[in-house]
Amino acid sequence: MTTTGPAAVEQAAVAAQMAVALSRLLRDGETVFFGVASPLPMVAALLARRLHAPDLVILTIPGGVDPEPSALPISTVDPRLLVGAPALITLADVFDLAARGRLDTAFLGGVQIDRRGRINLSAIGDDPQRPTVRLPGGAGSAALMPTAGRTILWRTRHDTRTFVPELSFVTAAGNVDRVVTPLCVLRRTDGVLDVESVHPFSRPDAVRDATGFPVTVGPQTPVTPEPTEAELAALREIDPAGVVASEFQGR
Amino acid sequence: MPDKRRSLAEVIATVPDGSRLALGGNTLHRAPAAAVHELIRQRKRGLELVKTAGAYDVDLLCGVGAAAVVTAGFVGYETVLGLAPMYRRAVEQGTVEAREHACYTIIAGLRAASQGVPFMPLNGLQGSDLVALRGFASVRDPYSGDDVVVVPAIVPDVALIHVQEADVDGNARIWGSEFEDTLMARAARRVIVTAERIVDRAALAAEPKRTSIPGFLVEAVVEAPEGAWPTSCAGLYEYDAAVLEQLLTVSDDPEALRAFVDERILGAVPAR
Repeated sequence: MTTTGPAAVEQAAVAAQMAVALSRLLRDGETVFFGVASPLPMVAALLARRLHAPDLVILTIPGGVDPEPSALPISTVDPRLLVGAPALITLADVFDLAARGRLDTAFLGGVQIDRRGRINLSAIGDDPQRPTVRLPGGAGSAALMPTAGRTILWRTRHDTRTFVPELSFVTAAGNVDRVVTPLCVLRRTDGVLDVESVHPFSRPDAVRDATGFPVTVGPQTPVTPEPTEAELAALREIDPAGVVASEFQGR
Repeated sequence: MPDKRRSLAEVIATVPDGSRLALGGNTLHRAPAAAVHELIRQRKRGLELVKTAGAYDVDLLCGVGAAAVVTAGFVGYETVLGLAPMYRRAVEQGTVEAREHACYTIIAGLRAASQGVPFMPLNGLQGSDLVALRGFASVRDPYSGDDVVVVPAIVPDVALIHVQEADVDGNARIWGSEFEDTLMARAARRVIVTAERIVDRAALAAEPKRTSIPGFLVEAVVEAPEGAWPTSCAGLYEYDAAVLEQLLTVSDDPEALRAFVDERILGAVPAR
């Protein structure tokens, strides 16, 4: 896939908007976890800690608490995420923390997401034991979504294959707060997702057409604030190599 | 204690077809690759693989027809390498059974095994179809009267664990993240450790708190330099993205895959 030229520039802008939108959702002092295959949440957490949430507690699968990585990995299980960490925990510690009500926020993804904010990461097709498409599996999501204080979902694709009326399989359900996509931010209120803001380079009708369940979106819908100069400068410092872009590439 | 050093060939020869194997490491990091390569060399069949999050190890064992069941929370390469195509195809074609768990239910099952109890209560899974799919039962908490989901013990026949350092007695030191390896070493009936290098017992005795797995739990230890390759080994080497990319490129062609595994994987690492 191309990594230079206009498409790459546009992709970088989308990645920056998503990283910043995810980052702004984090609150100072809270405890946040991201798992496998999560470059955008990793960058968002580091950005939040740099800018508005200096006392954020960052937990990861490798187990380094509050790491200060000198170079960001693409794999978010990488030993580079141990650098600078004053303490080392385990993945089991993270699940236990959530189970006893002490994990504030979990970042999770979903290949399919329904109107209630439930996700499917398991299988596409009628029979989960003999699926049309076997997906990677939900990893920590089924345990964390109902137990973490809130879940922030992200997905680098916003289309009607992602946002579906009905999931093939409910891998996880629970305390979803927001969903950040390349087109918009959705917020769950009274158990139902709806559009909170549309990104500046997107349009309300594009969001509606790309979402497979009803959403309320129109000219009255707020526009997601663009990344500020300060946010973009911090983003360049934290992620000079642009690992967030890796989420838009690949096999 | 007796010297537990063995060759990889002789120790893997004691692993029967159909064994339930716990694989250490996580995704692209510190997988027990040398042991996996020896399983492939010896053409093992019908294996059940247990891991919270697997990548190369699980995918390749599915690709060569060694695996029958994958009991895992996640199987994928992360990064730009994406999904695990050999695992995915084997499950879609029905030659491998995906027993999907949440990572936490793998941990809970291993914990039950390590504690010698039949099941482990767990807080999580509310609203997930995994409960019905896996047949997880609920029991009534005899103290509060509330229902709680319980996960059956997962007792691996063998845990295959790669570490940075071990002594001849099997005392094993993991640098950096331990993932589920220390739990697996306590849950499994047998523990086989491969180590980047064998060190003096005195080196471990100088800092015993850094010994992740005590030797008395370990049946055999194999010296296997670069034994996690092509996955990473913290403090020593990173994952080999180029070889993984090449593997995935040939993974959908059985002949090309066999040639690649023989020449580039088994051929690149000597039998030990």
